[in-house]
Amino acid sequence: MAVSSLNSTHEAVHARYEAVDSLYRETRDLRLLGFVLFLISDVVLFTMFIFAYLYLRNSVPNWPPINKDGVQLPRFDVAFACVNSCILFGSGATMHFAMESWKHLKKAEFNLWMIATIVLGIMFLGGQAYEYSHVPITWAGSTLGGSFFTLTGLHGFHVFVGVIYLITLYIQANNGTYTGSKYFGLTAGTLYWHFVDVIWVALFYLFYLM
Amino acid sequence: MAATLERSIGFVLALLVGGTTSFQLYKDWGSTGLDNQVTKLLLGLMAFGCILVVLAAVGVLGGG
Repeated sequence: MAVSSLNSTHEAVHARYEAVDSLYRETRDLRLLGFVLFLISDVVLFTMFIFAYLYLRNSVPNWPPINKDGVQLPRFDVAFACVNSCILFGSGATMHFAMESWKHLKKAEFNLWMIATIVLGIMFLGGQAYEYSHVPITWAGSTLGGSFFTLTGLHGFHVFVGVIYLITLYIQANNGTYTGSKYFGLTAGTLYWHFVDVIWVALFYLFYLM
Repeated sequence: MAATLERSIGFVLALLVGGTTSFQLYKDWGSTGLDNQVTKLLLGLMAFGCILVVLAAVGVLGGG
């Protein structure tokens, strides 16, 4: 099949996607299912911590609570969180563009979008580190601090792992590991990065808006 | 002053990212397959996140 002669349309992308041997197609579908199940298990992990946070939140009469020294804790800085959230959401958009570029065989664009995604991911982590150093609470001082650092720390760890994952994918893609037909690793990386973005939507609402 | 600037930046970025995400979601709406369906779900939730940021930036959510 003269796949290379097809133009860059959805049909061409689909044709390339299907232009693989049956064994690869079968294992790709199974790996995809397995990866989605992994993401669902991660959702369960975050959900447990979120429910613990909501339980603690509803077990005190006022929120934010007072800490162990009897001091009223302030609300978190919404304005800064807005910017940092947009950086992470923006990285989700650039990752989507990277994936689409790869599907349409535009490698130069893919590289640009991947670098943008990695840079935005690192910027988000930097913002998180900045917030940690300025937030007037500690991990052990209150239920708010314990919940905040546990949940955002767990998310930050996922982002950190995601950045390492993206760098690995970038290197692999430029070393010829993936082709226009076989790029499951990139698909999984895109899904993981979108997942990390979406978890932040929940955390942003719970800690800054609720 | 700094908070106002941060809110303004957040507002503009959220509109930009939310608009882009929504457009991509619209463009890919007809795509099939598990990976595309999950991607669409996650893009939709990301667009929802951008709406939350816009509402927070203008003071509707998050205590003004």
